[in-house]
Amino acid sequence: MVKGICYTLAAIAVSLGLFFFSQWYMNKQFEEFSQALDALYTKVEEKTASQEDGYAVKTLWAEKKSKLHIFVPHNDISYIDYWLNEACGLLRNGEYELALGNVEVLKEIAKNLPDAYSIRLENVF
Amino acid sequence: MALIFIRTTIIFVVLLLIMRLMGKSQIGEMQPFEFVISLVIAELACIPMADTSIPLLYGVIAIITIFILHQVVWFLELWFKPVKSVISGKPSVVINKNGVDEFQLKKNNLDVSDLIESMRVAGYFNLDDVYYGLYEANGSFSALEKEEKASTSLPLLLIDRGKPDNQNLGRCGFSGKVLEDFLKEQKAKIKDVVVMTVNGEGRIYFQKRGEYYKILQGEVNGQW
Repeated sequence: MVKGICYTLAAIAVSLGLFFFSQWYMNKQFEEFSQALDALYTKVEEKTASQEDGYAVKTLWAEKKSKLHIFVPHNDISYIDYWLNEACGLLRNGEYELALGNVEVLKEIAKNLPDAYSIRLENVF
Repeated sequence: MALIFIRTTIIFVVLLLIMRLMGKSQIGEMQPFEFVISLVIAELACIPMADTSIPLLYGVIAIITIFILHQVVWFLELWFKPVKSVISGKPSVVINKNGVDEFQLKKNNLDVSDLIESMRVAGYFNLDDVYYGLYEANGSFSALEKEEKASTSLPLLLIDRGKPDNQNLGRCGFSGKVLEDFLKEQKAKIKDVVVMTVNGEGRIYFQKRGEYYKILQGEVNGQW
Protein backbone atom coordinates (compact mmCIF):
# COMPACT_ATOMS: atom_id res chain seq x y z
CA MET A 1 0.00 0.00 0.00
CA VAL A 2 2.69 2.48 1.09
CA LYS A 3 4.86 1.22 -1.75
CA GLY A 4 1.99 1.81 -4.20
CA ILE A 5 1.50 5.38 -2.97
CA CYS A 6 5.26 6.04 -3.20
CA TYR A 7 5.42 4.75 -6.78
CA THR A 8 2.40 6.84 -7.77
CA LEU A 9 3.83 10.00 -6.21
CA ALA A 10 7.17 9.30 -7.87
CA ALA A 11 5.45 8.86 -11.25
CA ILE A 12 3.51 12.10 -10.76
CA ALA A 13 6.71 13.92 -9.76
CA VAL A 14 8.60 12.58 -12.81
CA SER A 15 5.71 13.56 -15.11
CA LEU A 16 5.39 17.07 -13.64
CA GLY A 17 9.16 17.52 -13.84
CA LEU A 18 9.13 16.48 -17.48
CA PHE A 19 6.18 18.74 -18.32
CA PHE A 20 7.81 21.84 -16.89
CA PHE A 21 11.30 21.03 -18.11
CA SER A 22 10.23 20.19 -21.67
CA GLN A 23 8.14 23.35 -21.99
CA TRP A 24 10.87 25.54 -20.52
CA TYR A 25 13.55 23.88 -22.66
CA MET A 26 11.57 24.16 -25.90
CA ASN A 27 10.73 27.82 -25.24
CA LYS A 28 14.40 28.59 -24.49
CA GLN A 29 15.75 26.82 -27.57
CA PHE A 30 13.22 28.35 -29.93
CA GLU A 31 13.71 31.80 -28.38
CA GLU A 32 17.45 31.64 -29.13
CA PHE A 33 16.74 30.33 -32.62
CA SER A 34 14.21 33.14 -33.16
CA GLN A 35 16.80 35.74 -32.13
CA ALA A 36 19.27 34.33 -34.67
CA LEU A 37 16.54 34.37 -37.33
CA ASP A 38 15.64 37.99 -36.46
CA ALA A 39 19.25 39.02 -36.96
CA LEU A 40 19.39 37.14 -40.27
CA TYR A 41 16.09 38.70 -41.36
CA THR A 42 17.43 42.22 -40.75
CA LYS A 43 20.57 41.45 -42.74
CA VAL A 44 18.59 39.92 -45.61
CA GLU A 45 16.27 42.93 -45.62
CA GLU A 46 19.30 45.21 -45.83
CA LYS A 47 20.77 42.90 -48.52
CA THR A 48 23.97 42.56 -46.49
CA ALA A 49 23.49 38.90 -45.53
CA SER A 50 26.15 36.53 -46.80
CA GLN A 51 26.23 32.79 -47.26
CA GLU A 52 28.16 32.55 -43.97
CA ASP A 53 25.31 34.25 -42.08
CA GLY A 54 22.96 31.61 -43.36
CA TYR A 55 25.34 28.81 -42.39
CA ALA A 56 25.81 30.33 -38.93
CA VAL A 57 22.06 30.04 -38.30
CA LYS A 58 22.14 26.54 -39.77
CA THR A 59 24.94 25.51 -37.41
CA LEU A 60 23.05 26.95 -34.44
CA TRP A 61 19.93 25.07 -35.50
CA ALA A 62 21.86 21.81 -36.01
CA GLU A 63 23.16 22.05 -32.45
CA LYS A 64 19.69 22.74 -31.05
CA LYS A 65 17.78 20.17 -33.08
CA SER A 66 19.96 17.28 -31.89
CA LYS A 67 18.38 17.74 -28.44
CA LEU A 68 15.00 18.99 -29.59
CA HIS A 69 14.40 15.63 -31.28
CA ILE A 70 13.66 14.28 -27.77
CA PHE A 71 10.70 16.63 -27.31
CA VAL A 72 9.45 17.62 -30.76
CA PRO A 73 8.08 15.27 -33.45
CA HIS A 74 10.79 14.74 -36.04
CA ASN A 75 8.54 15.86 -38.90
CA ASP A 76 8.32 19.36 -37.41
CA ILE A 77 12.10 19.52 -37.20
CA SER A 78 12.59 18.39 -40.79
CA TYR A 79 10.11 21.10 -41.82
CA ILE A 80 12.47 23.73 -40.35
CA ASP A 81 15.44 21.98 -42.02
CA TYR A 82 13.72 22.29 -45.38
CA TRP A 83 13.02 26.02 -45.13
CA LEU A 84 16.46 26.78 -43.67
CA ASN A 85 18.31 24.88 -46.38
CA GLU A 86 16.31 26.66 -49.04
CA ALA A 87 17.04 30.06 -47.46
CA CYS A 88 20.79 29.23 -47.39
CA GLY A 89 20.69 28.25 -51.07
CA LEU A 90 18.96 31.49 -52.01
CA LEU A 91 21.48 33.52 -50.00
CA ARG A 92 24.33 31.75 -51.78
CA ASN A 93 22.84 32.91 -55.11
CA GLY A 94 22.19 36.41 -53.75
CA GLU A 95 18.42 36.12 -54.19
CA TYR A 96 17.54 38.30 -51.20
CA GLU A 97 13.86 38.84 -52.07
CA LEU A 98 13.13 35.13 -52.13
CA ALA A 99 15.36 34.43 -49.11
CA LEU A 100 13.44 37.04 -47.13
CA GLY A 101 10.21 35.10 -47.63
CA ASN A 102 11.87 31.89 -46.42
CA VAL A 103 13.31 33.54 -43.31
CA GLU A 104 9.89 35.04 -42.61
CA VAL A 105 8.36 31.54 -42.72
CA LEU A 106 11.10 30.24 -40.42
CA LYS A 107 10.46 33.07 -37.96
CA GLU A 108 6.77 32.17 -37.85
CA ILE A 109 7.52 28.48 -37.32
CA ALA A 110 10.02 29.22 -34.54
CA LYS A 111 7.49 31.52 -32.88
CA ASN A 112 4.51 29.17 -33.14
CA LEU A 113 6.02 25.71 -32.73
CA PRO A 114 6.45 25.77 -28.91
CA ASP A 115 2.84 26.98 -28.61
CA ALA A 116 1.68 23.91 -30.55
CA TYR A 117 2.79 21.76 -27.60
CA SER A 118 1.56 23.98 -24.77
CA ILE A 119 -1.62 23.26 -22.82
CA ARG A 120 -4.34 24.99 -24.77
CA LEU A 121 -7.85 23.89 -25.59
CA GLU A 122 -7.18 23.81 -29.35
CA ASN A 123 -4.11 21.63 -28.76
CA VAL A 124 -5.90 19.17 -26.46
CA PHE A 125 -8.72 18.46 -28.92
CA MET B 1 4.47 16.56 -22.65
CA ALA B 2 1.63 17.83 -20.46
CA LEU B 3 -0.50 17.77 -23.58
CA ILE B 4 0.13 14.02 -23.99
CA PHE B 5 -0.85 13.54 -20.32
CA ILE B 6 -4.14 15.38 -20.78
CA ARG B 7 -4.96 13.67 -24.07
CA THR B 8 -4.22 10.22 -22.63
CA THR B 9 -6.39 11.00 -19.58
CA ILE B 10 -9.29 12.06 -21.81
CA ILE B 11 -9.03 8.90 -23.93
CA PHE B 12 -8.84 6.76 -20.78
CA VAL B 13 -11.95 8.34 -19.23
CA VAL B 14 -13.94 8.11 -22.49
CA LEU B 15 -12.97 4.46 -23.00
CA LEU B 16 -13.84 3.63 -19.40
CA LEU B 17 -17.22 5.30 -19.76
CA ILE B 18 -17.95 3.44 -22.99
CA MET B 19 -16.91 0.11 -21.45
CA ARG B 20 -19.23 0.72 -18.50
CA LEU B 21 -22.07 1.60 -20.85
CA MET B 22 -21.48 -1.53 -22.93
CA GLY B 23 -22.16 -3.69 -19.90
CA LYS B 24 -20.67 -6.97 -18.84
CA SER B 25 -21.00 -8.64 -22.22
CA GLN B 26 -17.85 -6.85 -23.45
CA ILE B 27 -15.61 -7.61 -20.49
CA GLY B 28 -13.79 -10.89 -20.08
CA GLU B 29 -12.91 -11.45 -16.43
CA MET B 30 -11.33 -8.04 -16.00
CA GLN B 31 -12.48 -4.91 -14.23
CA PRO B 32 -13.62 -2.31 -16.80
CA PHE B 33 -10.67 -0.03 -16.08
CA GLU B 34 -8.23 -2.94 -16.40
CA PHE B 35 -9.80 -3.81 -19.74
CA VAL B 36 -9.41 -0.19 -20.89
CA ILE B 37 -5.76 -0.23 -19.85
CA SER B 38 -5.00 -3.45 -21.70
CA LEU B 39 -6.79 -2.02 -24.74
CA VAL B 40 -4.78 1.19 -24.75
CA ILE B 41 -1.35 0.23 -23.48
CA ALA B 42 -0.37 -1.97 -26.41
CA GLU B 43 -1.00 0.84 -28.89
CA LEU B 44 0.72 3.38 -26.67
CA ALA B 45 3.82 1.24 -26.61
CA CYS B 46 3.74 0.25 -30.30
CA ILE B 47 3.06 3.54 -32.06
CA PRO B 48 6.14 5.51 -30.87
CA MET B 49 8.19 2.33 -31.20
CA ALA B 50 7.28 1.79 -34.86
CA ASP B 51 6.74 5.38 -36.01
CA THR B 52 10.15 7.04 -35.95
CA SER B 53 8.65 10.50 -36.48
CA ILE B 54 7.23 10.45 -32.95
CA PRO B 55 9.65 10.99 -30.06
CA LEU B 56 9.86 7.90 -27.88
CA LEU B 57 9.28 10.13 -24.86
CA TYR B 58 5.68 10.63 -26.01
CA GLY B 59 5.04 6.91 -25.58
CA VAL B 60 6.83 6.86 -22.23
CA ILE B 61 4.77 9.77 -20.92
CA ALA B 62 1.51 8.19 -22.12
CA ILE B 63 2.39 4.90 -20.39
CA ILE B 64 3.34 6.71 -17.15
CA THR B 65 -0.02 8.52 -17.39
CA ILE B 66 -1.81 5.18 -17.68
CA PHE B 67 0.10 3.94 -14.63
CA ILE B 68 -0.89 7.05 -12.63
CA LEU B 69 -4.53 6.70 -13.71
CA HIS B 70 -4.51 3.02 -12.75
CA GLN B 71 -3.18 3.90 -9.31
CA VAL B 72 -5.70 6.73 -8.89
CA VAL B 73 -8.59 4.41 -9.78
CA TRP B 74 -7.20 1.79 -7.39
CA PHE B 75 -6.98 4.30 -4.51
CA LEU B 76 -10.45 5.65 -5.20
CA GLU B 77 -11.93 2.15 -5.22
CA LEU B 78 -10.15 1.30 -1.99
CA TRP B 79 -11.04 4.40 -0.02
CA PHE B 80 -14.40 5.47 -1.41
CA LYS B 81 -16.70 2.48 -1.80
CA PRO B 82 -19.41 4.29 -3.80
CA VAL B 83 -16.77 5.17 -6.39
CA LYS B 84 -16.05 1.47 -6.87
CA SER B 85 -19.57 0.74 -8.09
CA VAL B 86 -19.41 3.73 -10.44
CA ILE B 87 -16.05 2.79 -11.96
CA SER B 88 -16.16 -1.01 -11.88
CA GLY B 89 -19.89 -1.65 -11.64
CA LYS B 90 -21.78 -4.00 -9.33
CA PRO B 91 -22.62 -7.70 -9.61
CA SER B 92 -25.96 -8.29 -11.33
CA VAL B 93 -28.24 -11.05 -10.06
CA VAL B 94 -29.73 -12.40 -13.28
CA ILE B 95 -31.35 -15.52 -11.81
CA ASN B 96 -33.18 -15.37 -8.52
CA LYS B 97 -35.83 -17.51 -6.86
CA ASN B 98 -38.47 -16.10 -9.23
CA GLY B 99 -36.51 -17.11 -12.29
CA VAL B 100 -34.65 -15.06 -14.88
CA ASP B 101 -34.46 -11.33 -14.15
CA GLU B 102 -35.06 -9.80 -17.55
CA PHE B 103 -34.36 -6.26 -16.34
CA GLN B 104 -30.86 -7.17 -15.17
CA LEU B 105 -30.15 -8.97 -18.44
CA LYS B 106 -31.24 -5.95 -20.46
CA LYS B 107 -29.19 -3.64 -18.24
CA ASN B 108 -26.07 -5.63 -19.09
CA ASN B 109 -26.88 -5.93 -22.80
CA LEU B 110 -27.35 -9.69 -22.55
CA ASP B 111 -30.09 -12.02 -23.67
CA VAL B 112 -31.21 -15.40 -22.38
CA SER B 113 -29.00 -17.30 -24.83
CA ASP B 114 -25.95 -15.45 -23.43
CA LEU B 115 -27.06 -16.41 -19.93
CA ILE B 116 -27.53 -20.06 -20.89
CA GLU B 117 -24.09 -20.05 -22.53
CA SER B 118 -22.47 -18.60 -19.38
CA MET B 119 -24.27 -21.21 -17.30
CA ARG B 120 -23.06 -24.04 -19.50
CA VAL B 121 -19.47 -22.75 -19.20
CA ALA B 122 -19.94 -22.74 -15.42
CA GLY B 123 -21.28 -26.34 -15.55
CA TYR B 124 -25.05 -25.76 -15.25
CA PHE B 125 -27.22 -26.89 -18.10
CA ASN B 126 -30.69 -25.99 -16.80
CA LEU B 127 -31.88 -22.55 -15.72
CA ASP B 128 -33.33 -24.09 -12.55
CA ASP B 129 -30.08 -25.84 -11.58
CA VAL B 130 -29.22 -22.77 -9.49
CA TYR B 131 -30.95 -20.74 -6.79
CA TYR B 132 -29.09 -17.62 -7.77
CA GLY B 133 -26.97 -16.75 -10.78
CA LEU B 134 -25.04 -13.55 -11.08
CA TYR B 135 -22.62 -11.73 -13.32
CA GLU B 136 -19.73 -10.33 -11.33
CA ALA B 137 -18.47 -6.81 -12.02
CA ASN B 138 -15.68 -8.36 -14.12
CA GLY B 139 -18.21 -10.19 -16.34
CA SER B 140 -17.65 -13.72 -15.00
CA PHE B 141 -20.63 -15.87 -14.01
CA SER B 142 -21.14 -17.19 -10.46
CA ALA B 143 -24.00 -19.29 -9.10
CA LEU B 144 -25.41 -20.73 -5.93
CA GLU B 145 -26.26 -24.21 -7.12
CA LYS B 146 -29.09 -26.47 -6.04
CA GLU B 147 -28.29 -29.73 -4.32
CA GLU B 148 -29.92 -31.76 -7.08
CA LYS B 149 -29.59 -31.02 -10.75
CA ALA B 150 -32.85 -30.91 -12.70
CA SER B 151 -32.18 -33.46 -15.43
CA THR B 152 -29.61 -35.23 -17.52
CA SER B 153 -30.93 -34.08 -20.87
CA LEU B 154 -29.75 -30.96 -22.68
CA PRO B 155 -32.39 -28.19 -22.79
CA LEU B 156 -33.03 -26.23 -25.97
CA LEU B 157 -33.96 -22.56 -25.93
CA LEU B 158 -37.32 -22.14 -27.65
CA ILE B 159 -38.28 -18.56 -26.78
CA ASP B 160 -35.79 -15.85 -25.83
CA ARG B 161 -37.40 -12.63 -24.55
CA GLY B 162 -40.41 -12.92 -26.84
CA LYS B 163 -38.47 -14.15 -29.86
CA PRO B 164 -39.02 -17.75 -30.97
CA ASP B 165 -36.09 -19.88 -32.11
CA ASN B 166 -37.70 -21.59 -35.09
CA GLN B 167 -34.83 -24.05 -35.59
CA ASN B 168 -35.07 -25.35 -32.02
CA LEU B 169 -38.87 -25.32 -32.12
CA GLY B 170 -38.80 -27.50 -35.24
CA ARG B 171 -36.15 -29.81 -33.78
CA CYS B 172 -38.22 -30.70 -30.71
CA GLY B 173 -41.54 -30.80 -32.52
CA PHE B 174 -42.92 -27.76 -30.76
CA SER B 175 -43.61 -25.54 -33.74
CA GLY B 176 -46.87 -24.21 -35.14
CA LYS B 177 -50.08 -25.47 -33.59
CA VAL B 178 -48.36 -27.26 -30.67
CA LEU B 179 -46.72 -24.04 -29.50
CA GLU B 180 -49.90 -22.04 -30.06
CA ASP B 181 -51.92 -24.49 -27.95
CA PHE B 182 -49.27 -24.53 -25.25
CA LEU B 183 -49.21 -20.72 -25.01
CA LYS B 184 -53.02 -20.61 -24.99
CA GLU B 185 -53.02 -23.07 -22.11
CA GLN B 186 -50.56 -20.83 -20.24
CA LYS B 187 -52.65 -17.74 -21.12
CA ALA B 188 -49.59 -16.10 -22.65
CA LYS B 189 -48.70 -14.42 -25.92
CA ILE B 190 -45.30 -15.18 -27.40
CA LYS B 191 -44.06 -11.62 -26.79
CA ASP B 192 -44.86 -11.98 -23.06
CA VAL B 193 -42.59 -15.00 -22.62
CA VAL B 194 -39.23 -14.18 -21.06
CA VAL B 195 -37.83 -17.66 -21.53
CA MET B 196 -38.97 -21.10 -22.56
CA THR B 197 -36.68 -24.12 -22.77
CA VAL B 198 -37.41 -27.78 -23.18
CA ASN B 199 -35.17 -30.80 -22.76
CA GLY B 200 -35.25 -34.23 -24.33
CA GLU B 201 -37.45 -35.57 -21.54
CA GLY B 202 -40.13 -32.94 -22.25
CA ARG B 203 -39.32 -30.92 -19.14
CA ILE B 204 -40.26 -27.31 -19.90
CA TYR B 205 -38.88 -24.24 -18.14
CA PHE B 206 -41.42 -21.51 -18.77
CA GLN B 207 -41.43 -17.94 -17.49
CA LYS B 208 -43.90 -15.22 -18.37
CA ARG B 209 -42.93 -11.57 -18.01
CA GLY B 210 -43.52 -10.42 -14.42
CA GLU B 211 -44.27 -13.91 -13.13
CA TYR B 212 -42.43 -16.76 -11.39
CA TYR B 213 -41.00 -19.48 -13.57
CA LYS B 214 -42.85 -22.78 -13.94
CA ILE B 215 -41.64 -26.28 -14.58
CA LEU B 216 -44.08 -28.09 -16.86
CA GLN B 217 -44.18 -31.33 -18.74
CA GLY B 218 -44.78 -31.56 -22.47
CA GLU B 219 -44.36 -33.96 -25.31
CA VAL B 220 -41.33 -33.68 -27.51
CA ASN B 221 -40.03 -35.84 -30.28
CA GLY B 222 -36.78 -36.46 -28.38
CA GLN B 223 -34.43 -36.30 -31.35
CA TRP B 224 -31.46 -34.68 -29.58
